[in-house]
Amino acid sequence: MTRILAENDSLYNKGYSVLQPMPHDIPERYSRQVLFQGIGAEGQQKLAQARVAIVGCGATGSAVAALLARSGVGTLRIIDRDYVELSNLQRQTLFDESDAAESLPKAIAAAHRIAAFNSEIVVEPKVADLVPANVGELLADTHLILDGTDNFETRYLVNDYAVKHSRAWIYAAAVGSYGVTLNVLPGQTACLACIFPDSPTGMVETCETAGILNSAVNLIASIEATEALKFLVGAHDQIRKTLLSCDVWHNDRAEIAASHPREGCRACGKRDFVHLAGEGRPHITLCGRNSVQIHEQHRPIDFVELSARLQPHGTVRHNDFVLKFWREPHEITLFPDGRAIIKGTTDTAVARSLYARFVGS
Amino acid sequence: MKITVEIPSALRRFTDGTAKIECEGADLPGLLNDLGTKHPSITQHLRDESGKVRKFINIYINDEDVRFLGGDAYQFRDGDQVLIVPSIAGG
Repeated sequence: MTRILAENDSLYNKGYSVLQPMPHDIPERYSRQVLFQGIGAEGQQKLAQARVAIVGCGATGSAVAALLARSGVGTLRIIDRDYVELSNLQRQTLFDESDAAESLPKAIAAAHRIAAFNSEIVVEPKVADLVPANVGELLADTHLILDGTDNFETRYLVNDYAVKHSRAWIYAAAVGSYGVTLNVLPGQTACLACIFPDSPTGMVETCETAGILNSAVNLIASIEATEALKFLVGAHDQIRKTLLSCDVWHNDRAEIAASHPREGCRACGKRDFVHLAGEGRPHITLCGRNSVQIHEQHRPIDFVELSARLQPHGTVRHNDFVLKFWREPHEITLFPDGRAIIKGTTDTAVARSLYARFVGS
Repeated sequence: MKITVEIPSALRRFTDGTAKIECEGADLPGLLNDLGTKHPSITQHLRDESGKVRKFINIYINDEDVRFLGGDAYQFRDGDQVLIVPSIAGG
Protein backbone atom coordinates (compact mmCIF):
# COMPACT_ATOMS: atom_id res chain seq x y z
CA MET A 1 0.00 0.00 0.00
CA THR A 2 1.03 3.57 -0.40
CA ARG A 3 0.07 6.33 1.91
CA ILE A 4 0.16 9.75 0.35
CA LEU A 5 -0.15 12.77 2.54
CA ALA A 6 -1.41 16.07 1.22
CA GLU A 7 0.44 19.25 2.08
CA ASN A 8 -2.41 20.40 4.26
CA ASP A 9 -2.39 17.14 6.20
CA SER A 10 -1.10 17.96 9.66
CA LEU A 11 1.20 14.95 9.60
CA TYR A 12 2.91 16.23 6.46
CA ASN A 13 4.48 19.11 8.30
CA LYS A 14 5.67 17.06 11.23
CA GLY A 15 8.34 15.23 9.34
CA TYR A 16 6.57 11.89 9.20
CA SER A 17 7.61 9.69 6.34
CA VAL A 18 5.50 10.48 3.33
CA LEU A 19 5.16 8.84 -0.03
CA GLN A 20 6.82 5.75 1.37
CA PRO A 21 5.36 2.59 -0.07
CA MET A 22 4.36 0.17 2.67
CA PRO A 23 6.46 -2.98 2.10
CA HIS A 24 4.36 -5.97 1.19
CA ASP A 25 5.59 -7.95 4.17
CA ILE A 26 4.32 -5.36 6.67
CA PRO A 27 0.75 -6.24 7.64
CA GLU A 28 -1.86 -3.53 7.25
CA ARG A 29 -2.56 -3.68 10.98
CA TYR A 30 0.80 -2.00 11.70
CA SER A 31 0.52 0.63 8.96
CA ARG A 32 -0.08 3.59 11.31
CA GLN A 33 2.85 2.59 13.51
CA VAL A 34 5.17 2.13 10.53
CA LEU A 35 4.30 5.66 9.41
CA PHE A 36 5.79 6.95 12.64
CA GLN A 37 9.33 7.92 11.73
CA GLY A 38 10.87 6.37 14.82
CA ILE A 39 9.62 2.92 13.84
CA GLY A 40 9.39 2.68 10.04
CA ALA A 41 9.34 -0.56 8.08
CA GLU A 42 12.77 -1.56 9.34
CA GLY A 43 11.77 -1.06 12.95
CA GLN A 44 8.57 -3.01 12.44
CA GLN A 45 10.56 -5.94 11.11
CA LYS A 46 12.82 -5.80 14.15
CA LEU A 47 9.77 -5.87 16.40
CA ALA A 48 8.47 -8.93 14.58
CA GLN A 49 11.72 -10.75 15.30
CA ALA A 50 11.91 -9.68 18.95
CA ARG A 51 11.37 -11.90 21.97
CA VAL A 52 10.37 -10.14 25.16
CA ALA A 53 9.76 -11.59 28.62
CA ILE A 54 7.16 -9.93 30.82
CA VAL A 55 7.65 -10.90 34.44
CA GLY A 56 4.35 -10.54 36.25
CA CYS A 57 1.04 -9.90 34.56
CA GLY A 58 -0.89 -7.66 36.91
CA ALA A 59 -1.72 -4.08 35.98
CA THR A 60 1.70 -3.13 34.62
CA GLY A 61 2.23 -6.47 32.94
CA SER A 62 -1.24 -6.43 31.36
CA ALA A 63 -0.70 -3.00 29.91
CA VAL A 64 2.79 -3.59 28.52
CA ALA A 65 1.74 -6.98 27.14
CA ALA A 66 -1.28 -5.48 25.39
CA LEU A 67 0.66 -2.54 23.97
CA LEU A 68 3.57 -4.62 22.73
CA ALA A 69 1.27 -7.32 21.33
CA ARG A 70 -0.67 -4.70 19.39
CA SER A 71 2.64 -3.18 18.27
CA GLY A 72 3.65 -6.48 16.70
CA VAL A 73 6.42 -7.70 18.99
CA GLY A 74 6.89 -11.20 17.60
CA THR A 75 7.12 -13.26 20.78
CA LEU A 76 5.91 -12.37 24.27
CA ARG A 77 6.71 -14.71 27.13
CA ILE A 78 4.30 -13.87 29.94
CA ILE A 79 5.35 -15.21 33.32
CA ASP A 80 2.90 -14.98 36.21
CA ARG A 81 2.25 -17.08 39.30
CA ASP A 82 -1.15 -15.63 40.16
CA TYR A 83 -4.79 -16.07 39.14
CA VAL A 84 -7.43 -13.51 38.18
CA GLU A 85 -9.59 -12.06 40.96
CA LEU A 86 -12.46 -9.58 40.88
CA SER A 87 -10.34 -6.93 42.61
CA ASN A 88 -7.90 -7.05 39.67
CA LEU A 89 -10.42 -5.85 37.09
CA GLN A 90 -10.23 -2.20 38.17
CA ARG A 91 -6.77 -1.87 36.59
CA GLN A 92 -5.60 -5.11 34.98
CA THR A 93 -6.85 -4.49 31.49
CA LEU A 94 -6.30 -7.90 29.90
CA PHE A 95 -8.85 -9.66 32.13
CA ASP A 96 -12.62 -9.80 32.39
CA GLU A 97 -15.28 -11.08 34.77
CA SER A 98 -15.32 -14.58 33.32
CA ASP A 99 -11.56 -14.90 33.97
CA ALA A 100 -12.15 -13.96 37.60
CA ALA A 101 -15.14 -16.29 37.93
CA GLU A 102 -13.02 -19.17 36.64
CA SER A 103 -9.94 -18.14 38.64
CA LEU A 104 -7.90 -18.48 35.48
CA PRO A 105 -4.15 -18.10 35.83
CA LYS A 106 -3.25 -14.61 34.64
CA ALA A 107 -0.71 -15.85 32.10
CA ILE A 108 -3.33 -18.09 30.48
CA ALA A 109 -6.07 -15.43 30.52
CA ALA A 110 -3.62 -12.91 29.04
CA ALA A 111 -2.66 -15.28 26.23
CA HIS A 112 -6.35 -15.88 25.39
CA ARG A 113 -7.11 -12.18 25.29
CA ILE A 114 -4.06 -11.29 23.20
CA ALA A 115 -4.89 -14.03 20.70
CA ALA A 116 -8.28 -12.36 20.20
CA PHE A 117 -6.74 -9.10 19.02
CA ASN A 118 -3.46 -10.25 17.52
CA SER A 119 -3.29 -13.88 16.47
CA GLU A 120 -0.18 -13.22 14.37
CA ILE A 121 2.26 -13.04 17.25
CA VAL A 122 3.44 -15.79 19.56
CA VAL A 123 2.51 -15.65 23.23
CA GLU A 124 4.19 -18.09 25.58
CA PRO A 125 2.22 -18.16 28.85
CA LYS A 126 4.21 -19.48 31.80
CA VAL A 127 2.20 -20.13 34.96
CA ALA A 128 5.16 -20.02 37.29
CA ASP A 129 6.81 -18.18 40.12
CA LEU A 130 10.12 -16.76 38.94
CA VAL A 131 12.70 -18.13 41.39
CA PRO A 132 16.46 -18.72 41.27
CA ALA A 133 15.92 -22.33 40.19
CA ASN A 134 13.97 -21.45 37.04
CA VAL A 135 15.08 -17.92 36.18
CA GLY A 136 17.66 -19.13 33.67
CA GLU A 137 15.14 -21.27 31.85
CA LEU A 138 12.27 -18.76 31.90
CA LEU A 139 14.30 -15.75 30.78
CA ALA A 140 16.52 -17.57 28.28
CA ASP A 141 16.50 -16.49 24.63
CA THR A 142 14.89 -13.12 25.24
CA HIS A 143 16.11 -9.76 24.00
CA LEU A 144 14.53 -7.70 26.73
CA ILE A 145 12.90 -8.29 30.13
CA LEU A 146 10.02 -6.13 31.30
CA ASP A 147 9.00 -5.74 34.91
CA GLY A 148 5.34 -6.34 35.63
CA THR A 149 5.81 -7.79 39.08
CA ASP A 150 4.58 -6.46 42.41
CA ASN A 151 7.51 -7.31 44.65
CA PHE A 152 11.17 -6.46 45.07
CA GLU A 153 12.34 -10.00 45.65
CA THR A 154 11.53 -10.87 42.04
CA ARG A 155 12.89 -7.57 40.76
CA TYR A 156 16.28 -8.07 42.42
CA LEU A 157 16.37 -11.58 41.01
CA VAL A 158 15.66 -10.20 37.53
CA ASN A 159 18.26 -7.48 38.07
CA ASP A 160 20.93 -10.01 39.07
CA TYR A 161 20.10 -12.21 36.09
CA ALA A 162 20.02 -9.29 33.65
CA VAL A 163 23.30 -7.79 34.89
CA LYS A 164 25.05 -11.17 34.87
CA HIS A 165 23.94 -11.90 31.32
CA SER A 166 24.14 -8.30 30.01
CA ARG A 167 20.44 -8.33 29.21
CA ALA A 168 18.46 -5.08 29.18
CA TRP A 169 15.45 -4.80 31.47
CA ILE A 170 13.01 -2.14 32.57
CA TYR A 171 11.86 -1.59 36.15
CA ALA A 172 8.34 -0.19 36.56
CA ALA A 173 6.24 0.10 39.71
CA ALA A 174 3.25 2.05 40.96
CA VAL A 175 1.37 2.66 44.17
CA GLY A 176 -1.42 5.14 44.87
CA SER A 177 -1.19 7.78 42.17
CA TYR A 178 2.59 7.49 41.92
CA GLY A 179 4.74 5.49 39.54
CA VAL A 180 8.48 4.97 39.00
CA THR A 181 10.41 3.47 36.12
CA LEU A 182 14.07 2.88 35.22
CA ASN A 183 15.72 1.44 32.12
CA VAL A 184 18.62 -0.84 32.98
CA LEU A 185 21.24 -1.33 30.28
CA PRO A 186 23.87 -3.41 32.10
CA GLY A 187 27.34 -1.92 31.88
CA GLN A 188 26.02 1.37 30.52
CA THR A 189 23.45 2.70 32.98
CA ALA A 190 22.74 2.31 36.67
CA CYS A 191 21.11 -0.98 37.63
CA LEU A 192 18.34 -1.41 40.20
CA ALA A 193 20.86 -2.20 42.94
CA CYS A 194 22.82 0.99 42.09
CA ILE A 195 19.72 3.08 42.74
CA PHE A 196 18.15 1.04 45.56
CA PRO A 197 20.83 -1.09 47.24
CA ASP A 198 18.23 -2.80 49.43
CA SER A 199 14.57 -3.60 49.14
CA PRO A 200 11.88 -2.09 51.36
CA THR A 201 11.27 -3.87 54.62
CA GLY A 202 7.60 -3.36 55.19
CA MET A 203 7.70 0.30 56.10
CA VAL A 204 6.68 1.92 52.81
CA GLU A 205 3.30 2.18 51.24
CA THR A 206 1.91 -0.80 49.37
CA CYS A 207 -1.14 -1.23 47.18
CA GLU A 208 -2.81 -2.48 50.34
CA THR A 209 -2.30 0.66 52.38
CA ALA A 210 -2.37 3.32 49.66
CA GLY A 211 -4.53 1.68 47.00
CA ILE A 212 -3.75 2.18 43.33
CA LEU A 213 -5.16 4.36 40.57
CA ASN A 214 -5.48 2.53 37.28
CA SER A 215 -4.28 5.61 35.40
CA ALA A 216 -1.05 5.79 37.43
CA VAL A 217 -0.07 2.21 36.72
CA ASN A 218 -1.13 2.41 33.08
CA LEU A 219 0.89 5.60 32.60
CA ILE A 220 4.02 3.94 33.95
CA ALA A 221 3.33 0.86 31.82
CA SER A 222 2.90 3.02 28.72
CA ILE A 223 6.25 4.66 29.36
CA GLU A 224 7.81 1.24 29.92
CA ALA A 225 6.32 -0.05 26.65
CA THR A 226 7.60 2.97 24.74
CA GLU A 227 11.11 2.52 26.10
CA ALA A 228 10.86 -1.15 25.11
CA LEU A 229 9.98 -0.16 21.53
CA LYS A 230 12.96 2.20 21.40
CA PHE A 231 15.25 -0.56 22.58
CA LEU A 232 13.88 -3.17 20.21
CA VAL A 233 14.07 -1.00 17.09
CA GLY A 234 17.59 0.12 18.02
CA ALA A 235 16.79 3.77 18.81
CA HIS A 236 19.31 3.64 21.63
CA ASP A 237 20.04 7.37 21.61
CA GLN A 238 16.39 7.98 22.51
CA ILE A 239 16.37 5.65 25.51
CA ARG A 240 15.81 7.55 28.76
CA LYS A 241 18.71 7.24 31.20
CA THR A 242 17.02 8.51 34.32
CA LEU A 243 14.90 7.21 37.16
CA LEU A 244 11.56 8.77 36.27
CA SER A 245 8.79 9.27 38.78
CA CYS A 246 5.32 10.63 38.02
CA ASP A 247 2.27 11.37 40.09
CA VAL A 248 -0.95 11.66 38.11
CA TRP A 249 -2.98 13.03 41.04
CA HIS A 250 -0.58 15.67 42.32
CA ASN A 251 0.79 16.54 38.87
CA ASP A 252 4.41 15.88 39.86
CA ARG A 253 7.20 14.59 37.69
CA ALA A 254 10.84 14.12 38.67
CA GLU A 255 13.87 12.65 36.92
CA ILE A 256 17.07 11.57 38.59
CA ALA A 257 20.21 10.83 36.60
CA ALA A 258 20.92 7.12 36.22
CA SER A 259 23.25 7.23 33.25
CA HIS A 260 26.20 5.48 34.90
CA PRO A 261 26.66 2.45 37.13
CA ARG A 262 27.32 3.33 40.77
CA GLU A 263 30.88 2.59 41.79
CA GLY A 264 30.97 -0.35 44.17
CA CYS A 265 27.46 -1.52 43.31
CA ARG A 266 26.87 -5.02 44.71
CA ALA A 267 25.38 -6.30 41.45
CA CYS A 268 26.94 -4.51 38.48
CA GLY A 269 30.15 -3.45 40.23
CA LYS A 270 31.15 -6.39 42.42
CA ARG A 271 29.10 -8.91 40.42
CA ASP A 272 27.92 -10.47 43.64
CA PHE A 273 24.64 -12.02 42.55
CA VAL A 274 23.16 -12.93 45.91
CA HIS A 275 19.59 -13.09 44.59
CA LEU A 276 20.52 -15.53 41.83
CA ALA A 277 22.08 -17.67 44.52
CA GLY A 278 18.76 -17.54 46.39
CA GLU A 279 20.33 -16.35 49.62
CA GLY A 280 17.93 -15.45 52.40
CA ARG A 281 14.89 -16.04 50.26
CA PRO A 282 11.79 -15.71 52.41
CA HIS A 283 8.20 -16.58 51.62
CA ILE A 284 6.53 -13.74 49.84
CA THR A 285 3.67 -11.67 51.18
CA LEU A 286 1.86 -10.53 48.08
CA CYS A 287 1.11 -6.90 47.37
CA GLY A 288 -2.47 -5.94 48.10
CA ARG A 289 -3.31 -9.13 49.88
CA ASN A 290 -3.13 -10.72 53.25
CA SER A 291 -1.41 -13.77 51.80
CA VAL A 292 1.56 -16.05 52.05
CA GLN A 293 2.92 -18.14 49.25
CA ILE A 294 4.40 -21.62 49.70
CA HIS A 295 7.08 -22.11 47.09
CA GLU A 296 6.54 -25.79 46.53
CA GLN A 297 7.40 -26.90 43.02
CA HIS A 298 7.82 -30.63 43.18
CA ARG A 299 4.54 -31.87 44.59
CA PRO A 300 2.29 -32.80 41.65
CA ILE A 301 -1.31 -32.45 42.79
CA ASP A 302 -4.22 -34.56 41.54
CA PHE A 303 -7.00 -31.98 41.76
CA VAL A 304 -9.84 -34.52 41.50
CA GLU A 305 -8.49 -36.61 44.33
CA LEU A 306 -7.62 -33.67 46.52
CA SER A 307 -11.04 -32.06 45.93
CA ALA A 308 -12.69 -35.22 47.25
CA ARG A 309 -10.42 -35.20 50.28
CA LEU A 310 -11.10 -31.56 51.07
CA GLN A 311 -14.90 -31.65 50.65
CA PRO A 312 -15.63 -32.43 54.33
CA HIS A 313 -13.40 -29.58 55.50
CA GLY A 314 -14.74 -26.60 53.56
CA THR A 315 -15.72 -25.38 50.11
CA VAL A 316 -13.59 -26.59 47.25
CA ARG A 317 -13.61 -26.25 43.49
CA HIS A 318 -11.07 -26.59 40.72
CA ASN A 319 -10.38 -26.36 37.00
CA ASP A 320 -7.39 -27.64 35.02
CA PHE A 321 -5.13 -24.90 36.29
CA VAL A 322 -6.04 -24.14 39.84
CA LEU A 323 -7.80 -25.54 42.90
CA LYS A 324 -9.39 -23.23 45.45
CA PHE A 325 -10.29 -24.26 48.97
CA TRP A 326 -12.14 -22.02 51.43
CA ARG A 327 -12.02 -22.67 55.12
CA GLU A 328 -12.75 -19.57 57.17
CA PRO A 329 -10.85 -17.39 57.67
CA HIS A 330 -8.42 -18.80 55.09
CA GLU A 331 -8.49 -19.45 51.39
CA ILE A 332 -5.96 -21.78 49.79
CA THR A 333 -5.22 -21.60 46.08
CA LEU A 334 -3.23 -24.56 44.79
CA PHE A 335 -1.42 -24.99 41.49
CA PRO A 336 -0.65 -28.31 39.80
CA ASP A 337 3.02 -28.31 40.87
CA GLY A 338 2.07 -27.96 44.53
CA ARG A 339 2.63 -24.23 44.84
CA ALA A 340 0.04 -22.57 47.08
CA ILE A 341 -1.16 -19.08 47.93
CA ILE A 342 -2.72 -18.93 51.35
CA LYS A 343 -4.94 -15.94 51.90
CA GLY A 344 -6.03 -14.75 55.30
CA THR A 345 -2.67 -14.67 57.05
CA THR A 346 0.75 -13.08 56.85
CA ASP A 347 2.18 -15.60 59.29
CA THR A 348 4.33 -18.10 57.41
CA ALA A 349 4.01 -20.60 60.23
CA VAL A 350 0.20 -20.54 59.98
CA ALA A 351 0.49 -20.90 56.21
CA ARG A 352 2.87 -23.83 56.52
CA SER A 353 0.56 -25.46 59.01
CA LEU A 354 -2.50 -25.09 56.76
CA TYR A 355 -0.53 -26.46 53.84
CA ALA A 356 0.67 -29.40 55.86
CA ARG A 357 -2.84 -30.16 57.14
CA PHE A 358 -4.71 -29.93 53.86
CA VAL A 359 -2.14 -30.63 51.17
CA GLY A 360 0.76 -32.47 52.72
CA SER A 361 4.07 -31.95 54.45
CA MET B 1 19.74 28.45 56.14
CA LYS B 2 16.64 27.31 54.26
CA ILE B 3 16.58 23.98 52.51
CA THR B 4 13.53 22.82 50.57
CA VAL B 5 12.65 19.17 51.02
CA GLU B 6 10.33 17.67 48.43
CA ILE B 7 8.20 14.83 49.77
CA PRO B 8 7.04 12.19 47.27
CA SER B 9 3.32 11.57 47.25
CA ALA B 10 3.88 8.05 48.57
CA LEU B 11 5.08 9.59 51.86
CA ARG B 12 2.87 12.67 52.04
CA ARG B 13 0.37 11.15 54.35
CA PHE B 14 3.07 11.46 56.97
CA THR B 15 3.44 15.20 56.29
CA ASP B 16 -0.26 16.10 56.38
CA GLY B 17 -0.26 16.15 52.59
CA THR B 18 2.46 18.80 52.33
CA ALA B 19 4.64 18.42 49.24
CA LYS B 20 7.44 20.88 49.96
CA ILE B 21 8.77 21.61 53.42
CA GLU B 22 11.29 24.26 54.38
CA CYS B 23 13.80 22.73 56.76
CA GLU B 24 17.05 23.66 58.40
CA GLY B 25 20.18 21.69 59.12
CA ALA B 26 23.91 21.84 58.58
CA ASP B 27 24.07 18.28 57.31
CA LEU B 28 21.75 15.39 56.43
CA PRO B 29 21.26 14.09 60.00
CA GLY B 30 20.47 17.63 61.11
CA LEU B 31 18.05 18.13 58.26
CA LEU B 32 16.24 14.85 58.97
CA ASN B 33 16.06 15.77 62.65
CA ASP B 34 14.37 19.04 61.74
CA LEU B 35 11.99 17.30 59.34
CA GLY B 36 11.21 14.76 62.05
CA THR B 37 10.47 17.54 64.54
CA LYS B 38 8.00 19.09 62.11
CA HIS B 39 6.43 15.76 61.07
CA PRO B 40 7.34 13.06 63.60
CA SER B 41 5.55 10.18 61.86
CA ILE B 42 7.72 10.37 58.72
CA THR B 43 10.93 9.60 60.59
CA GLN B 44 10.44 5.85 60.86
CA HIS B 45 9.89 5.68 57.10
CA LEU B 46 13.16 7.46 56.35
CA ARG B 47 15.56 6.24 59.05
CA ASP B 48 16.24 2.96 60.77
CA GLU B 49 16.48 2.42 64.51
CA SER B 50 20.07 3.68 64.57
CA GLY B 51 19.16 6.86 62.70
CA LYS B 52 20.69 5.87 59.38
CA VAL B 53 18.77 6.59 56.19
CA ARG B 54 16.99 3.41 55.11
CA LYS B 55 18.57 1.80 52.08
CA PHE B 56 15.37 1.84 50.08
CA ILE B 57 15.12 5.60 50.49
CA ASN B 58 17.15 7.73 48.11
CA ILE B 59 17.91 11.33 48.92
CA TYR B 60 18.98 13.66 46.16
CA ILE B 61 20.45 17.10 46.68
CA ASN B 62 20.07 19.30 43.62
CA ASP B 63 19.52 16.12 41.56
CA GLU B 64 22.66 14.34 42.84
CA ASP B 65 22.47 11.28 45.06
CA VAL B 66 23.65 12.33 48.52
CA ARG B 67 25.74 9.14 48.68
CA PHE B 68 27.97 10.67 46.01
CA LEU B 69 28.17 13.98 47.83
CA GLY B 70 29.66 12.58 51.00
CA GLY B 71 26.48 11.27 52.60
CA ASP B 72 26.09 12.43 56.19
CA ALA B 73 29.21 14.61 55.83
CA TYR B 74 27.70 16.80 53.10
CA GLN B 75 27.36 20.40 54.29
CA PHE B 76 24.18 22.04 53.06
CA ARG B 77 24.19 25.37 51.32
CA ASP B 78 21.40 27.89 51.45
CA GLY B 79 18.80 27.14 48.82
CA ASP B 80 19.66 23.47 48.37
CA GLN B 81 16.79 21.41 46.98
CA VAL B 82 16.32 17.99 48.52
CA LEU B 83 14.25 15.28 46.83
CA ILE B 84 13.28 12.04 48.55
CA VAL B 85 12.61 9.02 46.31
CA PRO B 86 11.40 5.79 47.94
CA SER B 87 11.50 2.47 46.16
CA ILE B 88 7.99 1.18 45.60
CA ALA B 89 6.84 -2.31 44.82
CA GLY B 90 3.32 -2.33 43.41
CA GLY B 91 2.55 -3.26 39.88
